[in-house]
Amino acid sequence: MSALRQYRDLVSVQLRSMRDEVLMIAVIQIVLALGLVLGMGYLIPDISKMSATFLVTGTATQSFVTMGLVMLPQMLAQSKAEGRIEYFLTMPISREAYLLALITVVAITALPGVAFTLLFGAWHYDISLSVEPAFFLVMVLAVLSLAGIGVAMAMWSPHLQTVNAVTQLIIFYVLFFSPVLLPASQLPELLQLTAKLAPPTYAADGVRATLTDLPNTSLARDLLVMSGFAVGSIALSAFAIRRRG
Amino acid sequence: MVLNMGLRPVLEVRDLVKRYRNGTLANDGISIALRPGEIYGLLGPNGAGKTTLVRQVLGVLRPTSGTITLDGGDVVANPGLARRNIGFLPQGQFDLLSLRVGEIIEYSARLRGVKPAQARIRRDELLAMLDLTPFARTTMHAASGGVRRMAGFAAAIAAPARLLVLDEPTNDIDPIRRQLLWNTIGELGREGATVLLVTHNLAEAERFIDRLAIIDGGRIVREGTPSALRSLVTEKLRLELAFTGPVTVHAALTSEKGDPGKYLFDQRDLPVISTWLGSLREAGLLGDFRIGPPTLDDIYAAVMAPAPELEAAS
Repeated sequence: MSALRQYRDLVSVQLRSMRDEVLMIAVIQIVLALGLVLGMGYLIPDISKMSATFLVTGTATQSFVTMGLVMLPQMLAQSKAEGRIEYFLTMPISREAYLLALITVVAITALPGVAFTLLFGAWHYDISLSVEPAFFLVMVLAVLSLAGIGVAMAMWSPHLQTVNAVTQLIIFYVLFFSPVLLPASQLPELLQLTAKLAPPTYAADGVRATLTDLPNTSLARDLLVMSGFAVGSIALSAFAIRRRG
Repeated sequence: MVLNMGLRPVLEVRDLVKRYRNGTLANDGISIALRPGEIYGLLGPNGAGKTTLVRQVLGVLRPTSGTITLDGGDVVANPGLARRNIGFLPQGQFDLLSLRVGEIIEYSARLRGVKPAQARIRRDELLAMLDLTPFARTTMHAASGGVRRMAGFAAAIAAPARLLVLDEPTNDIDPIRRQLLWNTIGELGREGATVLLVTHNLAEAERFIDRLAIIDGGRIVREGTPSALRSLVTEKLRLELAFTGPVTVHAALTSEKGDPGKYLFDQRDLPVISTWLGSLREAGLLGDFRIGPPTLDDIYAAVMAPAPELEAAS
């Protein structure tokens, strides 16, 4: 059986196995997006178009972060604890196809949140977003890098509780201490340095570079760094999944 | 059962040792060989090392030392061999979240290399064979534990395999479906499938198992056919009874795993036990009782009786 057919079947199995949760995930993402887009707006009464654009694109990136770095590792760690991953590993399937299928499912489930955020945010703040073709490449690399790290985290963590604790810290960091929702220039120096090591920084910057005319973005750097994170994290995950105790 | 005694074993495990990183010795020199068409039972208490052995056979855990071969191929060096040739029902609850019963079977076949159209045909066959057709569109979440287990079993046999590894297949299954499952396992054996069966349910498994190994502390402590192992307790008789009042149990009786209704005793004590039972009946203290030959449960209890300190495994 070809790896492509395996990949297609695995995506289908993963999506079907989440059919009861898909609606809930979509609702959570939309509520989170509404909360951020509207809530942060209430915090800044006379929000400028530039700040609103920054906020809306950051919130769209947040959907990828929520799915790739929070929900995916939590679900995977749960599956690992319950032996479901090992069950799949007893099948004659490509490990890489299995990992890519998981990441694809993250992309599919994150898309409604991203689309809703961009459409609602643009309407609410009356801002214009122009989609460059490279935006789709940014989305792919954002998913691969963030979900790749999410998978690696779940595969290498010894306990489900560890993954749950780390993902809580990640969401807290991304929301309040990273240049995803706050301009880097407003962060203390230490956090600016930390941000350089955090993949969500480059995902958010890439989204801004391909949807807006906000200054100080660097698409080439974003694509390069996200590619590096994607390759590194997926290789790390593949190594973890191939280990046999 | 189609036993090919002269042929190369389908599965051969030799001197298998698995020591985990924390130092736990889970398998300590295990050797077994499954002949083509054989249903081989693996029995043992929790923590005996059964699951560790199964995970190594499946190629998801690397042994510390020893060899595992499947049809002569080296599973340790080439775990893909196990994945391509083994159908597996895991011990844990088979609940792939919102997947439907029919989907579990179909996709298990597809992921094991069966073409989509054939996988759908196989799905429908198995749904009918295992009386699961009414549940074909029921999600695993909504299905009962027994239906989930049967669906897992169907998934394990959905694609052709050289070896089936079934880990506690009858867990959570009601008596009627359980009979259906055992009959299907028996049928698979008659058709030539080789089965490694991990079970605690000795009384039911006894009719279908060709040979069995009792594993404890990571070692095989007894191996043989059920009848050969039964000879270990050949001088014993089994007594099952129900008291209807307070009774001091006869000193010649040995309680089976603390079960107050099941005992073993030496055949030579049959006259005194018969007299004792008669006196209990006259006193109105005895309900139904039955005396018969020992079962696999008795063999297991006899073998495990000294119960050395168990080593935690896996």
